[in-house]
Amino acid sequence: MFDLEDAIKSWRKNLNHSESLEDGAKTELECHLRDKIEFLLGQGRSEEEAFAEAVSKIGTPDTLGTEYFKATTRHLSGRPPWQQSRWMPPLLSNYIKIGLRKIRRQKVYSFINIVGLAVGLACCAVIILYVTNELTYDSYHPDAERSFRIGAHTINQVGEHRSATTPAPLALELKASYPQVEQAIRIIPPFENAQNTLVVRGEKRFFETRIFFADPEVFEVLHIPFIYGTPKGALEAPNSVVLSEGMAAKYFGDELALGQTIQIEIDYDIGNANVRIEDYHVTGIVRNAPTNTHFKYDMLLSTSTINRFIPDIDTDWVHWHGKFTYVKLLPQSDPTEFEGQIQRAAAMAAQKFTERFGREVQLNEYFLEPLTRIHMYSQDIRRQLEAPGNWYYLYIYSFTAFLILLIGCMNFINLSAALSTTRTQEVGLRRVVGAQTRQLINQFLGESFLITALAFVAAFGLMWLLLIPFNQMAGTELTLAGLKQPVVLASLIGLLFFVGIISGSYPAFILTAFKPAAVLQGKSVTKSRGALIQKFLVVGQFAISIFLVICTLTVFKQLDFMRGQALGFDTEQKLLLRVKSNLNHLRRDYEEIKKSFMLHPSIYGATVSSTVPGDGDQSGYYLTKTDEDFRKAPWLTVITQDYDFMQEYGIRVVAGRGFDRNLGNDQKESYIINLAAVEALGFATPEEALGQSFQASYHRQFKRIVGIVDNFHYRGMRELVEPMILDIEDSLFSTITLSIRIKDMRELMRHVVAKWEEHFPGVPFEYSFLDENFDREYRYEAQMGRLLGIITSLGFAIACLGLFGLASFVVRYRIKEIGIRKVLGASTANIVTLLSKKFVWLILASIAIASPLALYAMNRWLQDFAYRIKPTGIVFLVAAAGAMAIALGTVGFQGVRAAAANPVNSLRDE
Amino acid sequence: MVSKALIAASTKPMILSILAGGEIYGYQIIHSMIEISGGILEWSEGTIYPVLHRLEKDGFIRSQWKMSNNGRHRKYYRLTAFGRKELEKEKKQWMSVHNVLSKLWAPLPSFD
Repeated sequence: MFDLEDAIKSWRKNLNHSESLEDGAKTELECHLRDKIEFLLGQGRSEEEAFAEAVSKIGTPDTLGTEYFKATTRHLSGRPPWQQSRWMPPLLSNYIKIGLRKIRRQKVYSFINIVGLAVGLACCAVIILYVTNELTYDSYHPDAERSFRIGAHTINQVGEHRSATTPAPLALELKASYPQVEQAIRIIPPFENAQNTLVVRGEKRFFETRIFFADPEVFEVLHIPFIYGTPKGALEAPNSVVLSEGMAAKYFGDELALGQTIQIEIDYDIGNANVRIEDYHVTGIVRNAPTNTHFKYDMLLSTSTINRFIPDIDTDWVHWHGKFTYVKLLPQSDPTEFEGQIQRAAAMAAQKFTERFGREVQLNEYFLEPLTRIHMYSQDIRRQLEAPGNWYYLYIYSFTAFLILLIGCMNFINLSAALSTTRTQEVGLRRVVGAQTRQLINQFLGESFLITALAFVAAFGLMWLLLIPFNQMAGTELTLAGLKQPVVLASLIGLLFFVGIISGSYPAFILTAFKPAAVLQGKSVTKSRGALIQKFLVVGQFAISIFLVICTLTVFKQLDFMRGQALGFDTEQKLLLRVKSNLNHLRRDYEEIKKSFMLHPSIYGATVSSTVPGDGDQSGYYLTKTDEDFRKAPWLTVITQDYDFMQEYGIRVVAGRGFDRNLGNDQKESYIINLAAVEALGFATPEEALGQSFQASYHRQFKRIVGIVDNFHYRGMRELVEPMILDIEDSLFSTITLSIRIKDMRELMRHVVAKWEEHFPGVPFEYSFLDENFDREYRYEAQMGRLLGIITSLGFAIACLGLFGLASFVVRYRIKEIGIRKVLGASTANIVTLLSKKFVWLILASIAIASPLALYAMNRWLQDFAYRIKPTGIVFLVAAAGAMAIALGTVGFQGVRAAAANPVNSLRDE
Repeated sequence: MVSKALIAASTKPMILSILAGGEIYGYQIIHSMIEISGGILEWSEGTIYPVLHRLEKDGFIRSQWKMSNNGRHRKYYRLTAFGRKELEKEKKQWMSVHNVLSKLWAPLPSFD
């Protein structure tokens, strides 16, 4: 039966829940309720109905309490302190407090967790920056989607290739005859000295490499923002130059460069015939080129300058080496249709070529490359402004960074899972006072987010450190400023959630699975299921580490192999001097120049040549037996050299003899070829080739083959050795090689610089070493080796840290057992063995998993090399032994510490 | 339905106006407010009390516990002189808002 008085009493009791209701207020509310009920009864309701309606009208105790609080508080939000906020879970402050306390109390474990995660995150973040940079190349240009570079696909006597260069008049033709073209422009690197353009202002003289001629409308197609000056007309007049801010600072310091002049040397023709050093008028200062563009400029010169020295530049459809055409189409035009139409221009160019040289062009087609695809999708295109990106290494780097992060996460999971056994009491108590499973999961996920967030902060510091070596290795200019990009930010936030959830969910799962009653009664919590997963994680960590070690060692072995004996020439202790100006002096007086350098006792040899191993573009000769028909002749890479080159470089002769200044006139009469050339020229044996006489396309002289040299790996060992010819031809000399013994490098360099200034006054002195120069051939491999080296050592360090933490935990867990064993007479060795045994099996399992995977991966990688090592057992043994030693060392350290402790201390409280 | 914000804003002048008619207790206030509004305005009835407390704290009204005929404790509220001034102020404000709105919503003059 419904009793009104009881109901009202219990209703009033309910009001006690609210802290802000005073007794008077409660009485007043009760009085109100009674009046209301009386009124409703008067309307003929039953007691029960009247009560229910009155209660619902008056409002819940909670809202009433809140309203009372609002009426008296000065808080802006008006939220009473006992009420949950809408967005913060209850007990949040308690969770944070407990979380921070755990970190403080368990400094070592927290340190391991945070450092492990931070290293992984930093590696990932750097790689994300790198990948974003690679994938966003040139996407910042407005209208990039309708801007294209035009390339040419040709088949001629040299073979078939696709190149990024097109004739200079093409841009003019496109603008004049194709209505869908909004703008077309040319970019032309300085002709013969693009790699070393001398720039002079007062005392400042430097060689620059990023100087280009560009049409006045270049700023309408490519996004190059001006700081001083305006794009309109900046590159109109002859001898105008637009500087990047970096260049302006380099040559003008704090002065305003705009309106001043600077001298630039341009070599318009091969062979020094047309070298001009002229004043250029600075008409604009622009922002430095960003890192993610294929067109990295330092100075832009007006194309109208060229006309004075090459009058037919705008009409010459035949010489199109080193001229780049960019086109921007009108918004609604169809690129495919346009690409079809420009074949008219291609056909015209081919026809002009035939008219001029009397040779048929088998194929000449133009194709469009979208601006944004130039970097990552043009690996097969030759003669580009910048070497295209490499998907292969992009994947490898991303993958390894991910692996490191995984190691960090596994650490975290493992340690938290181990530590969770110390938190059973806390969980039990929370359960008893009413925590729901979901709340507990939230708490532990939250803790892992807290640690992940701390790791993120640490990772930013690490990134700053990592970026320096990374930029050096990868040849990039990435900075932390790149983090501002939305894509990068989004990925980092994604990473934070990924890591937080991955690392937090397993501990949360274990902890919430405890039965509170069992825990609080002091029963031990069964952990067989957890232990298995922990073992699995340790195996995973070490398998990844061992995998990385094997890969790194193999990469280094292959690099060693490619740099070592097998090359067929000496790379050590060779100092290179490049002569870029006053070449005639070198070509005429090289013997005298060599002698003057060799006056120093530490310089025991000197030679002069056209190129040296590791140089990029090679020139070559067509060789014929008869007077004409170079078209069908075989093409041989040439190194022109003096009499001493072969001796200084240690090139081995297999038949005949080397060049000899004492035997007749080798300079006029003799060639030497390599074994590959013997085959290319159609001889069965080296002996057959000896004495044969050939004419070279370059100087049209007949010379006899007097010697055959072994195939030396001039371009490195990634590619097959090309047929090669050695010739004494001084008109191509440009490099001096000095063989040195390094005793006092500074004293030696003083001598070299002094002699340089004697022979080449006013030419900036620059030098390099052959092994560095040659390493450019292997830059991707070397880059990958070093990066793998760093990442692997970091990964290994994290895994060991984790193992260290785990071992110390196991020791702590079994400290009483160890004490009892010691009391009963176990030796330190017994105890260390006892503790290590389990880990030995885990490491063995990791080796067993990692080895076949590494073998597979490395075999794939080695496929790319024409000359390669076989993955040897040694590498695997070294990796396995190393992993085992380090792991046992880590565990053993903990074991020895535990065994050495006095058992009294651990057993006292029992 | 009238929005919560508007109800919250208008509760104060309503209470003050009702109290201008003399001493009265909480239940009667809300009862007459509902009656006058014809049920268009809806309150969570209990929430009138915090407002009364607030008004008392601000000095606009004064309260007194009295024993009613049926032996119940009732808290009676009446307007202070200060509260009367406040009511005038409120009246002015609400009337000016009312005037503006009625001008805005007056039917446009037509020329036919």
